[in-house]
Amino acid sequence: MRILNNIKAIPFVQKYRYSVILISSLSFLGPLAFLPQLVGNDDLCGVLCMRRFYLYFPGMTFEDFFTHINVAFIGVIAFALILLTTFFYGRLWCSFLCPVGGLAELGSRMLNDRWKIEFRALPQVQIRYGYFTVYLVLMPLLGISACTLCNFITIPRLIEALQGEYRGIVYIVSSVGLVNLGLLFILGFFASKGRAYCQFLCPIGAADGLVNRLGAKFNFTHHIRVEKERCTGCNVCARACMCGAIQMVDRVAVVDQLSCMSCHDCVDVCDWNAIEWTPASRHKEPKRIKKHVQIFPDPNWQSINVHDQPKTHIASKKVNRVRLINGLIVSFFLSFIAVTSVMAMA
Amino acid sequence: MRLFLFTQGFFFQLILFFLFTTSIVYANERHSDPDGCLSCHALTGLQFIDKEGLLRVSTIDESHYYSSLHGSVPCKDCHRKISHYPHKVENGYVDCAESCHVNEPSKGEAYTHKPIVEEFEKSAHGQGLVKDFAGGNRLKEELEEVNPSCRRCHANTAYIAEDQMEQFKTAFMHTETECGTCHQGDVWRDQFGGHILRRLVGSRWKKEGNNKMCIDCHANQERMAKVELEDPETHEKHKVDRRWIDATESYDRTLHSRILKTKIEAGASCLDCHAPTEKGKFRHNIYRDEDKLSATHPEKLAKTCAQSGCHEFANTPLNAGFVETDLHDVDQLQILNWLSLIDSERLESNWQRAFYIVGIVVIVFIFGAFIWLFTGIKAKKQAPILGNDSFEKIMIGRKIRKKPKKKPVVKKKSPPVVKPEVKVPPAIKPEVEASPIVKSEVNDNSIEKAESNSDKGKPSV
Repeated sequence: MRILNNIKAIPFVQKYRYSVILISSLSFLGPLAFLPQLVGNDDLCGVLCMRRFYLYFPGMTFEDFFTHINVAFIGVIAFALILLTTFFYGRLWCSFLCPVGGLAELGSRMLNDRWKIEFRALPQVQIRYGYFTVYLVLMPLLGISACTLCNFITIPRLIEALQGEYRGIVYIVSSVGLVNLGLLFILGFFASKGRAYCQFLCPIGAADGLVNRLGAKFNFTHHIRVEKERCTGCNVCARACMCGAIQMVDRVAVVDQLSCMSCHDCVDVCDWNAIEWTPASRHKEPKRIKKHVQIFPDPNWQSINVHDQPKTHIASKKVNRVRLINGLIVSFFLSFIAVTSVMAMA
Repeated sequence: MRLFLFTQGFFFQLILFFLFTTSIVYANERHSDPDGCLSCHALTGLQFIDKEGLLRVSTIDESHYYSSLHGSVPCKDCHRKISHYPHKVENGYVDCAESCHVNEPSKGEAYTHKPIVEEFEKSAHGQGLVKDFAGGNRLKEELEEVNPSCRRCHANTAYIAEDQMEQFKTAFMHTETECGTCHQGDVWRDQFGGHILRRLVGSRWKKEGNNKMCIDCHANQERMAKVELEDPETHEKHKVDRRWIDATESYDRTLHSRILKTKIEAGASCLDCHAPTEKGKFRHNIYRDEDKLSATHPEKLAKTCAQSGCHEFANTPLNAGFVETDLHDVDQLQILNWLSLIDSERLESNWQRAFYIVGIVVIVFIFGAFIWLFTGIKAKKQAPILGNDSFEKIMIGRKIRKKPKKKPVVKKKSPPVVKPEVKVPPAIKPEVEASPIVKSEVNDNSIEKAESNSDKGKPSV
């Protein structure tokens, strides 16, 4: 009964999301896996691979790039579709459909909170894009195949192993498989909210996040947005966010669009209707009116938007360490490509 | 000027000649049998029992032969030792290395397969019945011979691909699949035919078909297990390992093969790596990996991967790691011995050492995540074991107070309370002390109070 009550307490959108993840897991993974089998692959490897084609090898030409695209063209089409939907609707693939991250999340949500690791406080943008550059650029060079740390193959293999198929069992008992399995547990099942792999290591998520941030700059696209005039800075959404994407800046919730997955967790939690998945922030009637509380007209506790006063920031001349690290990551990536392409040409 | 006009006119004539006469050239009688071999060999049921007691069929299907690559070549051009009827069986063997019937237009020399045969003889397959095109007794070759003859690979395969055969039958309303039965003497048939001795190149020759040729022998695990390999340097013979026996199966697990199976020609066939296209070579130079001449020798591997159309970037020294991918990975194969899974030799790597650290943490957490089921501990707030405070501190920005010292424990340790009625007023004291602090907060600014309330998840003003 306690479990039933717990399930009943889940907000509607989240129930919907969990069921969609379940359906996609069933259709992409394991004994059914009918979507991969339509293509002729029984797992998410081969023509379905979405992750390998954009790797950079020193001395690579555009011809090589197109060969890579040709080899896994279905995966490339799927990846392009994901990016397109992300631009218009936020990272719905990641939060609603992705069978790999979704399975880890569902597993994590079923476990007791006591035995979990809180990863959300780590500087995830820097870690993610730092690893992303390593993944794109350094790992191919070092000969570590990008497939070695691919979670898109770990979970299908895990399910194959549960079925008793030899390929999965051998993979899991191989040394690479063991480490992948460990990562799945630590960054998946035992991570708080279960999305640590998505936050830190997933290259598709990293590329998706960049597009998400680009899309959020336009008015007509659907993204998780905050209405500054409504936000009380109560931190409820920040605590509920499974990606740790929300942080209070001057008592107003600010969504980090690089990390936000549009999972609607924050929308369900907010009492003031301040955070929404909308094209652009707009005024609306409050979702619920509390006893003896009137929100309109403007409440006197309304937070003040401090973003309009940039002069004080410039005057302080503080070195913004986060921006410095971001710049280092980008410059490392670009200079590495420039240097190696020149070296390969010579 | 006249010369110019003449040459120009000649040129046009030449073009016209080609335009109008090509059909005539092809229409010429291609089916030449000047020696009359087919007067006997075309008979169905021409069979004999050889010395070893095997029934051997020597019927030659006329239509097959005529439409083959060598269909216009008289029998005696290749079967040279046969001078008169009746002839010995051994005299019928063909040496592919001899010069033959066609004069190559560029050099004017007689065409020969000699360079191909020489290349093949040096290769790993080359110690067999090479000189005999047909491989002598074919049955014997099939059963006993380790190395293939020419005929073994350049076999008599159907022109229309097997998977297209049904489609062809319905589309053309054909029940018969031998073109020659009905289309005898048709011009197009000579151009499109090509049965005996296929060239394994051309637009219709797919890589998967190419692989079929290799798989024909190499997928036979029982036969492959009998093979003894010779070390190229020490010439010591040793038994083959699993990597050799199941090479076909492990290849099937690679992306190279899986992509070919989805009809995308971007994958690599066996020959693409083991005998890549090289200048002056004819793709017969297959060697073992240990051999330095081999295209798959570690030293040459980067160059092989970097063939045109494949991983061209592999050839730069910066990508030295790229070629280390194992394309015949035994780990992908069916498990024969379950104990081999935990073989230390197989697992030995840095990844394993990483797992020792990761694995211990995982085990502790698996144990811990389910222990609450049995202990029955009910805590109001279940905080993550690692890094919960860091989230509150860094993301939320809350200052976390140190836990108050457990005073009630001290109280419990002093059970004999003699006069509880007297000591009532001191118990109220802390409440009195606490209340003015709350009041002052409310008075100072309402925002802080709103925040402190909302921290508990119940925002109210």
